[in-house]
Amino acid sequence: MHDLIQRPLPGAQKRRAERASGRETLAALAPLGGLIALSIAFVLIGSARGINMAYSVETLVNQSVIIVIIATGAIFIFAMGSFDISLGASTLVAAMVGGLTYNATESLWAMLLACVATAVTASLISAALAAIFDLPVFVTTVAMLSVLGAVAVALVQTTGGAQIRVDSAFARSYDTLTVKFVVAAVFIVLCVFLFSVTRLGRVEKLIGGNPVTARLTGIPMKKTALAAFAIAGLGVGLGAFLTVLRTPTLTTSTAGDIGMNVLVAMVFGGMPISGGPRTRIYAALVGGLSMAVLNQTMTTLLASTSAGNGIAQVVRAVFFLAVVWVATSGHRGRLLPR
Amino acid sequence: MKITRSTTLAALAALGLTLGTAACSSGTAAENDTAAAGTGGETVKMCVLVSDATSSEALGFKDYYTQYIQQNFDVEFVYSEELADADAEKRAMESFIANNCRAIISFASADRPAQIEMAESAGIYYSVATGTLTDEQYEMFKDYQYYVGAIGPSLDVELQAGYDMAKHFVDEGDTRFAIYGAGIPYYIDMHIYRTAGMLAALAEDPSTTYGGAKEFGDILGVIMRDGTIKVDQFASDVYELTGYQEVWDFDDSAWQANLAAVVSSKPDVILAAGTGFAVFGAAVSGTDIAIGDIDAYTDENAKAMEAGSLSYLAGKFTSSTGPIFAATLSAVQGHPIRGEGDTALALEQGYWVATSIDQFNEFLAADTIESPVYDQAALEPFIGTDVSYDDFAAFVSKYSFDELAG
Repeated sequence: MHDLIQRPLPGAQKRRAERASGRETLAALAPLGGLIALSIAFVLIGSARGINMAYSVETLVNQSVIIVIIATGAIFIFAMGSFDISLGASTLVAAMVGGLTYNATESLWAMLLACVATAVTASLISAALAAIFDLPVFVTTVAMLSVLGAVAVALVQTTGGAQIRVDSAFARSYDTLTVKFVVAAVFIVLCVFLFSVTRLGRVEKLIGGNPVTARLTGIPMKKTALAAFAIAGLGVGLGAFLTVLRTPTLTTSTAGDIGMNVLVAMVFGGMPISGGPRTRIYAALVGGLSMAVLNQTMTTLLASTSAGNGIAQVVRAVFFLAVVWVATSGHRGRLLPR
Repeated sequence: MKITRSTTLAALAALGLTLGTAACSSGTAAENDTAAAGTGGETVKMCVLVSDATSSEALGFKDYYTQYIQQNFDVEFVYSEELADADAEKRAMESFIANNCRAIISFASADRPAQIEMAESAGIYYSVATGTLTDEQYEMFKDYQYYVGAIGPSLDVELQAGYDMAKHFVDEGDTRFAIYGAGIPYYIDMHIYRTAGMLAALAEDPSTTYGGAKEFGDILGVIMRDGTIKVDQFASDVYELTGYQEVWDFDDSAWQANLAAVVSSKPDVILAAGTGFAVFGAAVSGTDIAIGDIDAYTDENAKAMEAGSLSYLAGKFTSSTGPIFAATLSAVQGHPIRGEGDTALALEQGYWVATSIDQFNEFLAADTIESPVYDQAALEPFIGTDVSYDDFAAFVSKYSFDELAG
């Protein structure tokens, strides 16, 4: 018969447990440590090179806020072990619909509503198709990627050219740090609340960790997926809204790198790509800021070098691998990586 | 909600950045005002925006700046990576401003108004190389303190270049034409004006119209309305428009299919609004199809003309970006060259036209990186001294081969 009374761990076993706990802590803090290390490097290098630090910090926010918002919403999808490859295309189409709406109505709120409605609709179509045909969500988002690309071309052709131009004076007047902070803060607080306080976050982590168990415990899988995609769509819509304000000249290549950047930001922030219980809602914030700081530091360091752009990309890749390696060290080699 | 150490640290990091931004942002304008005053004999950091980093024309311009100008003037050039769209331009501008560039020379035109606004806000001199603003844009920005101006082919020069090229082939007896409109769907003005010029030359024949229009202004209106060229809008008893191609989407299969269709339509000539040989060179190799192009004097185009594929080139010469550099550096050094009423420069610079390989080689040899036509001696009188607008305008207006190197 098992002894149910908890006994003190023997010395060696205790040390092993402490080491394991230490590795877990190190792994959990690695992305944040990376951000802090990058920020220190940025300040040191920037000061040594005499860069305009105020403008640089402003640039960091400008260049990371859209990624952070979209990635924070997308965490709800990735937490379930799902994968959305159409985030960039969805952002583009939502931004174009928003731009056309503004041109027709000259209303900021109508533009915001159009961006959000378009993105949420596109996101829900992916989830609904997956539910109806019982397909992996990744497959339906691949299909949506093609469809959204075609929609973007069709939208831009309504102008008779290759661009959708929104009044730049209007865009400039709202492309401010205050607007960005408010939009980002409201959305991130909402996401943190939903993910960390409500049942939704716990359910999503359970689905990501073990979908069979989740199903057997009676969790409504399709409803949860729809909720996750709706929140991700909201993030994409807000990101598209800020995209129009930041770049009022929209072409089919606008937001082209957002999908990949969102993915990199999440992983950089310590998000396990397989989702599950290790999912952290702040991963997008940490990862998005880390990417922006790294980019800015590399630009400062290598701006005058003829091969600067190439070197910067290699350094980014190495740093990315290092952070992810440390972040996964706590659970690498286990039978159940989730 | 469980508050972990990492959650706390993440919140602190975000808060720190937020406060840092708020605290620092108020100092931006003042710091840049200080930076804009004089160079104090230091090397001037000039940043260059490029939308094309690989063509021989772009590489020629870059070599002139980084190899000749940088060797002979106290400047350091920092180039952007290839900028695909307006957002990439904006990110590059942000990086340049953050890195204390003293001036920005732009070869990228996805959203010029945004670039000019950003430079003005940051207190950094900004100029447009190898192009000009539209009249409407110039009116909007001509009074900006930090907008140095633009030196390049005006839209009238672009129109004339397209007209002259088409007229040249008409005079040679060609009747079957295809057109490569390059950036027309992106509303790149120079490409639209060049193409309108080509069609206007063909429309001089009484039976020829485009979209029912015969005059240049009307043809321009049709192109602006459509954002493209429609082959079925071309009507003529004498000429035939056999095909049309545009943009640079080399990877797209539909684009490749259309390129093949244009070549298969067997025109006598492909009239290109830019980068004609780069796009059609391989496709017309081994055919009798000639290319007329408005591009630049590069080794690549020399080979094309030698091989007979390129039979007409209205081209920019490599050091044609010298005068805008001089004006920009002079502005950084506290001696901006301004027009009447303290307005920004808007000066015309045209093309050198070659219709034979001998002529082409003569042009190419006259303007090299080692010995450009706009060399140190030519530019120095306009830098760092109070030069009048009229003197500088007269200097820029003498851009023909005969005046510069003949």
